[in-house]
Amino acid sequence: MQPGGENLQPRKIIHVDMDCFYAAIELREHPELAGKAIAVGGQPGGRGVLTTCNYEARKFGCHSAMPSFKALERCPGLIILPVRHDLYRSESMKIRSIFAEFTSRVEPLSLDEACLDLTGLKSSGSALAKEIRFRIKKETALSGSAGIAPNKLLAKIASDWNKPDGQFEIHEDEIPQFMQSLPVKKIWGVGDKTAERLGLMGATTCGELQKIGLVDLHRAFGQFGSLLFQLCRGIDDRSVTPNRQRKSLSVERTFPSDLVTLTEGTAELEKLINELTGELSAKHPERAVRTAFVKVKFTDFQQTTAECSAEAPSPGIFEGLLEEGWSRGKGKSVRLIGVGVRFKDQESLDEDAQLELF
Amino acid sequence: MKFTITKEDFLEGLQQVQHVVSSRTTLPILSNVLLEADGNSLRLTTTDLDVGVTGSVKAKVKQSGSTTLPARRLAGIVRELPANEVSVEVDSKNAASIRSGPSFFKILGLAKDEFPPLATFDDANEYKISQGVLKDGLRMTSYAISTDETRYVLNGIFCSFKGGALTLVATDGRRLAMVENDIEFPESRETEVIVPTKAVNELQRLLTDKGDVKIFISESQVAFELNNNLLVSKLIEGNYPNYRQVIPEETKERIVLERETFLSTVNRISLLANEKSNSVKCIFGENKIDVTANSPEVGEASETMDVAYKGPQFSIAFNPDFLMAPLRNLDTDEVYLDLIDEMSPGVLKTEGSFLYVLMPMRVSQ
Repeated sequence: MQPGGENLQPRKIIHVDMDCFYAAIELREHPELAGKAIAVGGQPGGRGVLTTCNYEARKFGCHSAMPSFKALERCPGLIILPVRHDLYRSESMKIRSIFAEFTSRVEPLSLDEACLDLTGLKSSGSALAKEIRFRIKKETALSGSAGIAPNKLLAKIASDWNKPDGQFEIHEDEIPQFMQSLPVKKIWGVGDKTAERLGLMGATTCGELQKIGLVDLHRAFGQFGSLLFQLCRGIDDRSVTPNRQRKSLSVERTFPSDLVTLTEGTAELEKLINELTGELSAKHPERAVRTAFVKVKFTDFQQTTAECSAEAPSPGIFEGLLEEGWSRGKGKSVRLIGVGVRFKDQESLDEDAQLELF
Repeated sequence: MKFTITKEDFLEGLQQVQHVVSSRTTLPILSNVLLEADGNSLRLTTTDLDVGVTGSVKAKVKQSGSTTLPARRLAGIVRELPANEVSVEVDSKNAASIRSGPSFFKILGLAKDEFPPLATFDDANEYKISQGVLKDGLRMTSYAISTDETRYVLNGIFCSFKGGALTLVATDGRRLAMVENDIEFPESRETEVIVPTKAVNELQRLLTDKGDVKIFISESQVAFELNNNLLVSKLIEGNYPNYRQVIPEETKERIVLERETFLSTVNRISLLANEKSNSVKCIFGENKIDVTANSPEVGEASETMDVAYKGPQFSIAFNPDFLMAPLRNLDTDEVYLDLIDEMSPGVLKTEGSFLYVLMPMRVSQ
């Protein structure tokens, strides 16, 4: 919100989310597969997982991040195509150039979704969303869904409302009512486990969550609790920031049941490292790495991060960090492990550069 | 609740606690200051859930009790009151009537029941250090704290109680400031914690040059007791980087510099530093340093300083802000600049235990 209150009109934020982006591109490239269940991802032989799949495959219960062999068990006719990042990136760039015709305030969240701030444009948010989706379809033959709302949180929730190939708008005055029945799981940052904990506190909807005081939320979830207090009321002051530079990349996993021994942890670590390495080479091959870190969350939700400088982190470095983080739990079992790297500032790679101590 | 208090005491009490109150808070009571009148004092407390401060001032209490009132607004009113004596009366609905000379204010508060209590320190380790020493130590290090939220372990001052000393360290990964002071505590109480920036700032506000400060450290919290105040804060969880490994052990050239002269030279020359890369170059020659800067399409600046230097000619570039920050916060007349080569960290030292490691900048030409 702007200080001084000079800008009291609600913001016009649009979240555009492409429908099964990778799978949709592959279908466009392979028209002969139309109507069949298809997915993009790793082959079932190794540790391959689905990156995405189309709605035909979702009917069988397939979803992204599912191990490919499991997906084939559920949907034996599933056609798994290899991932072609270059192709998806060039399609994504076409879509971004369409956004750029409407506003410079575009924040790409990934290759297939972005937030646009269209505050100040005369046309209504829903007319603009319709036009953007029309242009995307015309130029790429791909469909996207849009959410229109006064902030990023609600725009993202809304884009999921009439998916695929649809849009939904939440007006400022509808927010209180809309939040009442909204499941807490729809809030950004609330996954299965947080939802489960909130459930134990008596909150499965945002309306119920609003009844929990800030102090209790802060005590249970720390800073994230304070954020939840706002988000469950539909309040989100974050601005749409173009060119936001990613500062780190990480992958993490919450285990179905807590891990007790470090050996179990090390086995899981290996999978996470593979996933991280894959993401790094696919999405950020140009970025220089500054540090490696391992996050460990214990059964009581306390968490710790072990970190060290490393320009080319090896599995051994991550193992050492896991050991360090693990030992801080003093015997507590572990519910989540995350591995990641932080990037060097892109600017510091310029010629006149500040050198770093660590 | 009913009490009278001098304007001066009331304002002092409020000023010591009001900075903790965040201007944008989601819970109204966190904008309020908790007032508790009892005996012959008024206790004031604020918190933002991460940091809390409490302190007390003299007051004539006619009827003991407590309430919470909007902190900033109250301080604003008290600052402008026309007379030296202030009387405050709070009714059962937490409405406060404030009278001073011909003025009357009524402000609405909230019941104290909702006010979150500050953490307690029953199982804490206790340490003691002179306020002046801690104040100097924080001043000499706190400017180097990182503001990069992704490196949250660096968003505070590392305090190591080890080997009979308190070592304070702050770094943002490009420069590192450290100061060490001997203090007494049993070996069994050796510990290392990271105190977050906000608590450091509040502590610097409260510290004076007289008396001691008691420090209490528990598993996840730290408290500082000084004068009539108690500052409580959560600690930053995580491992601080191994800072000892970035302090160069050897040095090739030591240059003795007059601190204020060097500071004003760098300050002048930095006016022409390139906005984007922001560097000044120090070119060492026989018995002199040329400090230079240039900015394409703007111009250039240079200044020669006489120093005792007999080594080979070489040049090294630094971010002028990083070079000036310690110079501004020291009070010795002379500083030593220890250098190895143009790509290795430079070290600024004083006669005391202060040390500042600064990475140079790589310059294209």
